[in-house]
Amino acid sequence: MKLCTASETISFIRGLEEKAAAFYESLAGRFPAKKDIFLGFANENVKYVKQVRMAYQSVITDAIEGCFAFDLNPDDFAFETDLPPDASLAQAAAKALEVEDAILSCYSKGAEQSGALLADVPRNFKMIVKKRQNRLEVLRSMK
Amino acid sequence: MAILEEPIKGVPTAKNYINGEWTESKGEMIDVVNPATSEVIGKVGISTKEEIDSAVAAATEAFHDWRRTPAVTRCRYLFRFLHLLEENFEDLSRVQTQEHGKTIDESRGETRRGIENVEVACGIPTLMMGDTSEDIASGIDEYLIRVPLGVFGVIGPFNFPFMIPLWSAPYAVATGNTVVIKPSSEVPFSQTRITELAEEAGFPPGVWNMVHGGRTVVNGMLDHPGISGITFVGSSPVMRDVIYPGCGKTGKRCIAQGGAANILVIMPDCNVEATIPGLMTSFFGNAGQRCLAGQTLIMVGDDDRFYNSFVEKVTERAKAITIGYGLDESVQMGPVRDAGKKEKILGHIESAIKEGVKLRLDGRKPGKIVGGYPDRCFLGPTIMEGLHRQMRAVREEIFGPTMGILRTKTLEEAIEICNESPYHNGHAIFTSNGKHARHFQYDVISGNVGINIGIVAPMAFFPFSGMAGSFMGILHTQGKEAVRFFTESKVCIHRWL
Repeated sequence: MKLCTASETISFIRGLEEKAAAFYESLAGRFPAKKDIFLGFANENVKYVKQVRMAYQSVITDAIEGCFAFDLNPDDFAFETDLPPDASLAQAAAKALEVEDAILSCYSKGAEQSGALLADVPRNFKMIVKKRQNRLEVLRSMK
Repeated sequence: MAILEEPIKGVPTAKNYINGEWTESKGEMIDVVNPATSEVIGKVGISTKEEIDSAVAAATEAFHDWRRTPAVTRCRYLFRFLHLLEENFEDLSRVQTQEHGKTIDESRGETRRGIENVEVACGIPTLMMGDTSEDIASGIDEYLIRVPLGVFGVIGPFNFPFMIPLWSAPYAVATGNTVVIKPSSEVPFSQTRITELAEEAGFPPGVWNMVHGGRTVVNGMLDHPGISGITFVGSSPVMRDVIYPGCGKTGKRCIAQGGAANILVIMPDCNVEATIPGLMTSFFGNAGQRCLAGQTLIMVGDDDRFYNSFVEKVTERAKAITIGYGLDESVQMGPVRDAGKKEKILGHIESAIKEGVKLRLDGRKPGKIVGGYPDRCFLGPTIMEGLHRQMRAVREEIFGPTMGILRTKTLEEAIEICNESPYHNGHAIFTSNGKHARHFQYDVISGNVGINIGIVAPMAFFPFSGMAGSFMGILHTQGKEAVRFFTESKVCIHRWL
């Protein structure tokens, strides 16, 4: 089942971000030395959900024309967050990069598909992709 | 996908709100039916003449003090109202979907558009300012004050149950008038929720009133000498034969917005990939029940290859539209409002077939309805080819999920067809050529003109325009024109000896 409407796309993205936030919270518990970094990521995820929601509900086009704006396959952005109990920080970082890759891909593809019809949602998707680049650098440095 | 939680529970009765009191109507009670599920979700009274008279009397009495309340203070009521609307954004949106059938995306868009009008009306201390000229002659000054007029009637349609009364009511009360709102009795709960929030915002009794009902309430408003003006959105025949003459008879101000049969012109130089989603939302969004919906698609030029490829892409995209209950987030098109409207749309399609059109996509029987709901009010998207300019399917309002396609050789001919339409609400062109765009914008007769925009809905700070068969009156709803409509210019000339 593809994601076609803005409403379900944004709900789907919320699900991705929340799952990722829960993953980062678990990493914060496992790796106390990096606790602040991982909790920071989790908080950012919550803010991104809010940012997208506000964009969607703030500009008429993004809601009223949203029914025909997307054609996303949710399976393309699926990710797992399971780690072995004895996983090292490097393994955790590698898993986090997979998570980020899936989420960034969803935002990028969503922005590309909806750019001609919607206004603020694709713009915010792109902003989030840009903002997350720092996170990728931090995660890569842990590997 | 799961269905979002329905906000209307049980089978409540939509009550009238008169002079700060909620009262059940004394008139006949009718069912309010969710068109997607066919379930009765509530009851509403068809109010009597006495009830509308009582609302006007309350509004008249409230006007005296409300008009004397400073504009900045009136604004504070509106700011509280605005805050409550935002707090209840999702609930208000779901009510629209549950009672009307539109998708949740469309309802949220409608909620936003309604709220934007309250936001604009919050600027009334500035918007309502007058003009001054010093020394129009030696020692004589002249100035203009915008003063409220009294009680206004606001008559809403079924297709945008939340937003459309907000094109008028916030401006009316912000400028110091009082209002009586009559929502469509098919969809009474959106305005009921708004009125509950207006009450919570603390508007004094009698400033904001709501009376449910039908013709009796409309005629009661038109005939009532205590009402200074009426805003109406509905069908063109009612606009032309009932509202406008009724207002004229009793000397009321009038904004009357009627129907449409909008034409979207496709130039061969358009950006095809960007245009097609815009066409989907224009023709099939809100199940075609928008006065800004596309009805006719004119394909300009004699390039058969472009025509066939474009129409094929449009058809494939339309075929894939997901139909169902709008509280399912995956649904792209909901039902039409009721079975009678569905029959009327089917009648238009049958009539067009008799006139010789071919169905490229037949939506008379909807395909799969997500959730397996009864097909009582559902239609699929229909695409008709081979139309010509004199056909009913071009000239009459269908108000359903249909796209009629006709071809012209030139842009001039396309503009001629737009201009000979009985309606002039929201024609649009899709092109990447600025010269074509300007030519269209300049020569087309249309209150709202779209350039690469399929739904030409003006923002709250612009008037919702409309011309000829789509509009009667002078000023329009929304923004500065609404402020002018709800105020009279009082000109004062002073000389102090």
